[in-house]
Amino acid sequence: MNDNITTLRVAEIQRFCMHDGPGVRTTVFFKGCPLRCEWCHNPEMQKSERELLFFGNKCISCRLCASCVAHKFDGGKHTVDREKCVVCGKCADLCPTTALQICGNDMSVNEIVREVKKDVAFYGENGGVTLSGGEPLAQSGVVDLLKALKSDGINTAIETCGYFDVSAVLPYTDLFLWDIKDTDPARHKQYTGASNERVLENLFAADEMGAKTRLRCIIINGVNADTDHYMRIREIKEKLKNCAGADVLPYHAYGGSKAVALGLPDNGDASLIPTDDEINEAKRIICG
Amino acid sequence: MKTTSPGGKTVFASVNNISRPVRLCENTRLFAAESLGHKYGLETKKTRGVPLDDIEGFEFLTPCRKYDLAVRRIAETAPIRICDGELVSGSATLGAAISHLVPALYKGEPLCRSISHLTPDFVTVVRDGIDSIRARAESALKKHRGTEKEEFAESCLYCLDSFDIWHKRYLDVLREKGYTQNYENLCVVPHKPAKTFYQAVQSVWFTFAFMRLCGNWPGIGRLDELLGPYLENDMKNGVLTLDDAREILAHFFIKGCEWICGGNYGSGDAQHYQNLVIAGVDENGCDVTNDVTYLILDIIEELGISDFPTTVRLSSKSPEKLLRRTAEVMRFGGGTLAVYNEEKVIESMTKYGYPPDEARRFANDGCWEVQVPGKTYFRYIPYDFLQLLQKKTLKSYDGSVDFPDFEALYKAYISDVADLLEDHLAMLLDENMERETEGGWVWKEDIKCTVISLFEEGCIEKGLSYREGGPIYNIVSPHIGGLADTVNSLYAIKKLVFDEKKVGFGELMQILKNNWEGSEALRLYALNRYVYYGNDSDEVDVICVRLLSDFADLCKKIDGRSGYSFPGGVSTFGRQLEWSPHRLACPYGRKSGEVLAANASPTPGSDKEGATAMIRSYCKNPLEKLSIGAALDLKLLPSYIKGDEGIDALVALLRGFVALGGFFMQPDVIDAEILKKAQENPEEYQNLSVRVSGWNARFVTLNKEWQDMVIEQNER
Repeated sequence: MNDNITTLRVAEIQRFCMHDGPGVRTTVFFKGCPLRCEWCHNPEMQKSERELLFFGNKCISCRLCASCVAHKFDGGKHTVDREKCVVCGKCADLCPTTALQICGNDMSVNEIVREVKKDVAFYGENGGVTLSGGEPLAQSGVVDLLKALKSDGINTAIETCGYFDVSAVLPYTDLFLWDIKDTDPARHKQYTGASNERVLENLFAADEMGAKTRLRCIIINGVNADTDHYMRIREIKEKLKNCAGADVLPYHAYGGSKAVALGLPDNGDASLIPTDDEINEAKRIICG
Repeated sequence: MKTTSPGGKTVFASVNNISRPVRLCENTRLFAAESLGHKYGLETKKTRGVPLDDIEGFEFLTPCRKYDLAVRRIAETAPIRICDGELVSGSATLGAAISHLVPALYKGEPLCRSISHLTPDFVTVVRDGIDSIRARAESALKKHRGTEKEEFAESCLYCLDSFDIWHKRYLDVLREKGYTQNYENLCVVPHKPAKTFYQAVQSVWFTFAFMRLCGNWPGIGRLDELLGPYLENDMKNGVLTLDDAREILAHFFIKGCEWICGGNYGSGDAQHYQNLVIAGVDENGCDVTNDVTYLILDIIEELGISDFPTTVRLSSKSPEKLLRRTAEVMRFGGGTLAVYNEEKVIESMTKYGYPPDEARRFANDGCWEVQVPGKTYFRYIPYDFLQLLQKKTLKSYDGSVDFPDFEALYKAYISDVADLLEDHLAMLLDENMERETEGGWVWKEDIKCTVISLFEEGCIEKGLSYREGGPIYNIVSPHIGGLADTVNSLYAIKKLVFDEKKVGFGELMQILKNNWEGSEALRLYALNRYVYYGNDSDEVDVICVRLLSDFADLCKKIDGRSGYSFPGGVSTFGRQLEWSPHRLACPYGRKSGEVLAANASPTPGSDKEGATAMIRSYCKNPLEKLSIGAALDLKLLPSYIKGDEGIDALVALLRGFVALGGFFMQPDVIDAEILKKAQENPEEYQNLSVRVSGWNARFVTLNKEWQDMVIEQNER
């Protein structure tokens, strides 16, 4: 392998993933996303900057971090002053319980490839690597990463919100897991901060260029759990020439704990979880 | 595993609510439900053993003679059991046998311990018949007449006669009750060579049942290799269908549940080492996988019988169908199926000195330690290497030792391992051997076991029993227990004291002596901030590799100094549970009394990178130097093995395990119940990560509300 010094900001690398594309995969989560979905389940991967997470339930008030002005202990209760935090990461290095963690690690393409190749023995014919996040295509360096992975014969998939043109990565990408968060332009704008027109334009442009896609459809009770939406997804799916199918993904509220750790309001809301009936209806219409 | 029969329809439950396929007829399924439901086990328990008290002058007889008379009495008087509609006959009906004892009672006490941890020679029984064994015993007696071996040679024939008596009793009852087919089969087998698949099944079962009747717990070995040619022949001749063969074989499995007595057992605990090893190559290197291989998998899948712990021999050449069927059966949970990577096993055995054809024949002892079936005396001695580190090398943390660097500490520890193995050898010499003569070692008189000796090559000819050097290979394997805990302890000392200098050596010893009292931040730092064995981190894994390599070399050093060989292995089985209350605090953050690692698996809670990383760490070990084996336990969440993609995941794990050069792996699937336990004891389930699509979190890091949601998700 040539020395590849392109660096990418990685949130996490997870091995033995079974739900991020076909077969056994290693999923590389990237930091930074252009959208701000209200229901986001990986809120720590929205901003492109490195961030400090503080899991209060893990803190034992050992005060090893107290030498930093960002950490306050009022009556034994540990709080983080985010104004004063420069995300140097020293507190996380000292923290014995991992209550303090830094999200965002700059890794070279070579480093990432080395991690991904550890599980080559398990990938078999279908498995490989999935780039996820956050939004992997928000970092231009992913092209170099994909090139390096393909030159090692590793199957590649990208999980994308669809906000970016994919022509640069297309030659090195075996599958796009393409989010269809909403088909209603107004709702899409309201809940994600951006219109869905661009998402669909990119999708059809990618399809024209021969990109193999799978649609990823999150179903959120009270937001997009309606038949019209399902029908529109079905239409999109049928218009695409290279779509390999669609996955219906029920909303879950697990992202909330991580939002709280970032000092944000808890965005987990159990009332948004769709019922089994709703999921089955969505599957019937979308996948049917 | 619970079995219900609502409205006559028998249902065999699984851990993950996937319904099991139905291929067997309802009668067979009901028979299985009864057998699994303790019917025959409770019946067996009613007669503990046969009384010997009326035998005049019994206490003055030699041990061998006592044993012979006990076997005779068992053969003559043990209850005969014919289950309604059974296709295969012969039953081990004496209760003391379930407790690993010879079920003949003198003054209310069983005569002696019985034999386990071996796979006897069923190949000779089925192919040549027991008459061929009698012929060998007769010529041996002629040879040994007038020597000190005469008594054992006579015992062989006496026990064969006893076997005939028991056989005759079954013939009489079967004829009387009109079990014509069973009767006709038993008129041929096991005395004469089996001619059909059905006879071959009956031959193995009847012989196996007699060994068990006399108290022994033998394994069965490579049943598909043995039976496959008979099935192929029958099908070619049009005398048997695959469905009929499945029914016959199912009865073999159901009969094997006749010792299940209920009580507080998990699904795997009602076993008596009646192991099967399926698929893989034969002694010439040809794949033996055949229809019987898949029938066995069918039966395990349908009935959920875990009483025949079955290991599939995989290799890089395994057919895709075998991998997929193995994965499909595994996903029902219960740990019924395990796998060998036979390439690594054969490599390790050949390196140890077995001829390649012998190595290719390997089966196991009833757990997973590999052996050449029908030729091997096997015993293992468990050692707790964590205890050795704590008590001997670190002097129970009393502060009397100090080490300038990690190297000095490691060398001191290895020197203690060497001493332990010398003690191991000395103990065995003292217990079992007199002296070495020109003719080899002279063995001390031991507990008698003629019945088993008949089915172990070498015993009859040498005039020596199974436990007295009779078999071709005589193995006493020293086993490392506490491997991961030891490696992690050494690594944590290296990091805390020598690399990062967070604490002085003496200071750390004091902290450990105080069970981390007052040093909680340092304890949590050690526990959470270092990456331990099982996470594919070379920095710690190299210590494990080095320790196992040095251990294997030290084992090799004591070979040839007695009648035994000493190939090393790694095991704890369930022993880590007994050890944990007695072990001191560990440098990696464990407090005294907390849970310990099993076998060659990571310390519970320290494996945070998932299944593939765990397999990679394990496979870095010098497994080719551990010719007995090292077992990896792999716990999988049911959500990982859902549907077709779940099968793909399991197949991928199995393929990876083989490609990376693993030895033995026991995958298991855990259900929502486990998650609930994890909720109660989060420390023990640190590694349990839960996933929904791209979201991920470690289960124990969620609060109660979220944990409940995930549990619910898994219960759906």
